[in-house]
Amino acid sequence: MVKVKVNNVEIDVPPGSYIIDAIEKAGFKVPLLCYLQDLFNEATCRICIVKANGRIVPSCRFPVQEGMVITTSDDELSKMRKINFELVLATHNIICWNCYRKGSCLLVSLSKELGVEGIPVCSECSLYGDLCLVKQGIPCLGPLTIAGCEAECTKQNAPCIGCRGFVSSTSTWRNALRFYKENNIKKEDLEAITRIFWPILPSRFQNLIREVYMQ
Amino acid sequence: MSKYSLHEIIYGHHDLRVHVPISSCTLATGAQEVYRAIEDYIKRTGVSAEIHRVGCMGLCFLDPWIMIAGKNLPPAIYANVKPLDVEKILDRYLSEDLSGAYALRFRIDDKDYGIPLLDDKPEWKYQVRFVSRNCGIIDPESIDEYIRTGGYEGLRKALKMKPEEVIEVVRKSGLRGRGGAGFPTWLKWKITYEQKSDEKYVICNGDEGDPGAFMNRLLAESDPHRVVEGLIIAAYAVGATKGYIFVRAEKPLMADRLEKAVVEARKKGFLGEKILGTSFNFDIEVYRSAGAFVCGEETALIAAIEGRARPRQRPPYPAVSGLWGKPTLVNNVETLAHVATIFQVGVEEFTKYGTEKSKGTKMFCVTGAVKRTGVYEVPVGTTIKKLVYELAGGPIEGRKVKAVQVGGPSGGCIPFNLFDLELDYETLQAYGAIMGSGGLVVIDDSGCMVNVAKYFTDFTLAESCGKCLPCRVGMKIMNDILGRIVNGEGDVSDIEVLRDLGVSIIKTSLCGLGGSAPNPVLSTLRYFDNEYREHIENRKCPAKVCPKLVTYVIINEKCRGCGVCARQCPANAITGAAGKPHYIDSSKCVRCGACLISCPFGAIEKT
Ligand SMILES: Cc1cc2nc3c(=O)[nH]c(=O)nc-3n(C[C@H](O)[C@H](O)[C@H](O)COP(=O)(O)O)c2cc1C
Ligand code: SF4
Ligand code: SF4
Ligand code: SF4
Repeated sequence: MVKVKVNNVEIDVPPGSYIIDAIEKAGFKVPLLCYLQDLFNEATCRICIVKANGRIVPSCRFPVQEGMVITTSDDELSKMRKINFELVLATHNIICWNCYRKGSCLLVSLSKELGVEGIPVCSECSLYGDLCLVKQGIPCLGPLTIAGCEAECTKQNAPCIGCRGFVSSTSTWRNALRFYKENNIKKEDLEAITRIFWPILPSRFQNLIREVYMQ
Repeated sequence: MSKYSLHEIIYGHHDLRVHVPISSCTLATGAQEVYRAIEDYIKRTGVSAEIHRVGCMGLCFLDPWIMIAGKNLPPAIYANVKPLDVEKILDRYLSEDLSGAYALRFRIDDKDYGIPLLDDKPEWKYQVRFVSRNCGIIDPESIDEYIRTGGYEGLRKALKMKPEEVIEVVRKSGLRGRGGAGFPTWLKWKITYEQKSDEKYVICNGDEGDPGAFMNRLLAESDPHRVVEGLIIAAYAVGATKGYIFVRAEKPLMADRLEKAVVEARKKGFLGEKILGTSFNFDIEVYRSAGAFVCGEETALIAAIEGRARPRQRPPYPAVSGLWGKPTLVNNVETLAHVATIFQVGVEEFTKYGTEKSKGTKMFCVTGAVKRTGVYEVPVGTTIKKLVYELAGGPIEGRKVKAVQVGGPSGGCIPFNLFDLELDYETLQAYGAIMGSGGLVVIDDSGCMVNVAKYFTDFTLAESCGKCLPCRVGMKIMNDILGRIVNGEGDVSDIEVLRDLGVSIIKTSLCGLGGSAPNPVLSTLRYFDNEYREHIENRKCPAKVCPKLVTYVIINEKCRGCGVCARQCPANAITGAAGKPHYIDSSKCVRCGACLISCPFGAIEKT
């Protein structure tokens, strides 16, 4: 057996184990994305990073060594996990309001876990499909604002007013604006509700509105 | 090389011996045509002469050069020879008029020909030609010439030792990998040696994918047996039976010469079964790869030989599990050539040079805004200043050096005020660059550092294999941000994003490509922060390079109204009556710069 220490918990694991096995055996968790036990451990997403003897390594594919000291979380790790997760979101076409997964996906849960504010309220809205307020022509801010509130207001049939602020990704904005336009939400109405955040709309947003609504 | 054999190789057995370098770089500048012109000359004049094909000296600014050695005359080197010059040069030389020669290889008497000695020229004087000793001197396609210079003596010595003793010699030499990271060579050998396995492999990494770096190509084209000998010694030390030399298919001459060297070495019994009468069996295959920058990374290189070129997470390291899952030693071309040389001439000759932590010499390739582009072999620990100014001759007339990018496309930019730094692994690392394979690109005051950073990330982004997220997406985002900044669309917050993202990519990427690709950005941010701010805050490119941020204007007082610029302008942006000052319509101008070059009166400026 190989002796390692995970966040001050000493533990024995069979030789040839990966760090993730030791972490789980010691009762800790690290966020995992591309890893599928026994199926895929090519260490491509770099979300499961931990520190092994001070060095940042992917826990899913890094073998344990005798006496290895493993840290599963600190400021630097959180920051880098967050950055890498933001990179995942940057390549993901976010259309939670139309996604068949209805929010039960790894990206949504990880973004909450890591505190990345890239996923919109629609991901956790229970009014999917025909019930969707936007689809009923009501200017709801769900597609544009940060998830994490469990979308309580929408359950009461009140449109979202974006308590947690705007998501910041331009591509998400663009998708959302297209969604509004498809459902005949008027440009003026949209501008009116976004003024909750911005007395004067930022030019990046104005340009996008123009781009989408002029098409 | 002993004086005697050098003399013999240079003079040969005819009245006249003309040495012509045939290598990728000299061929590109017309060496083949010069070779033919010399052949013609010999035929026509009937002199007792022979042409000696040699490799490249590394002094690229001389290309194509020739060296003439005639009876009772000192060997003279001529630079930038054109086929039409050949007759005149040879006629003169034979009549003992050496004028026009660039340098004398050595003197044979006290007679003064008014030509300096090569050894007195700074570009040669400060070099220590240890591994490159034969480059440009011997015929790379002749095993006999290599042997005459002491070649394969190193192997003979090594085969008389036990593998552990061979490794001990390498340990004593203090040799560190010349392929990038500077890992102690002996340690890698020891780990590979200690693995128990029915089969082991050794691989010579000759990928050299850095644009603008060619020291490995030069060495392998000019002295291929040295690399082969090094690889055989390595194989003996670690217990390998099969070796590969990994070369890019787009460097055919390098691959051909190595292949030929392998064939010749086999004929002489340095390869094959029972090498030199011992029980050691070993053979080498030259592997021609389709090539990608990432294939130089050792796990990707191994995967490429197996048929799918992508890096994988280490450990296990190749020394433990490499090619086909067997222990595999991967060493750089220059590392192996050093091994052969160390065994030939003795450890002390090597340890004489270098620093405490890093012994010996290293070949550096200096390109960019310098007078003398070339490959220079100097002791590790030589200062950047010495290499750039003394050897490479400093900036082109009227220019000032601003920075040097050290270590290839994923190295870092060191600013002029730090040019006293020594070129060794640790120092470069501490200042945000890397040794890499030893490429230096000199940037003068006409260069924009943001643009330089963008240029290198264009390269690394295109070469990212896409396997892991930080490199694939992160580099794209960094590159996009740099694109915005050079277009004058940057935001103050971009600097922070570039820094955080860059550090994160370096620390979390799967392989060394992502692990170093942000270096040019981080180092320019560190040393040229002001240039970024100018682009972002004032929408100005201080070096007037970034097209979107410069305007072309005609100075009324200087313009004579000749109209040349207007005819050159592809955008019809220039108007004006003949004889009257012309005017550039900035809204039409596409910033191609054609007018500026064309104006005969220097009336056009960038602002
Ligand atoms: C992206 C990348 C490219 C590389 N390219 C080369 C190369 O062209 N030649 C080389 O010898 N090493 C290259 N290396 C380093 C190799 O992975 C390996 O460390 C080296 O060949 C080991 O040889 P050495 O110990 O003799 O230096 C590269 C590494 C990376 C990450
Ligand atoms: S760092 Fe880049 S080149 Fe290396 S594995 Fe990741 S994507 Fe591929
Ligand atoms: S820079 Fe090019 S496009 Fe602009 S005025 Fe000069 S020639 Fe015309
Ligand atoms: S080429 Fe020069 S001198 Fe002639 S019109 Fe243009 S700016 Fe004037």
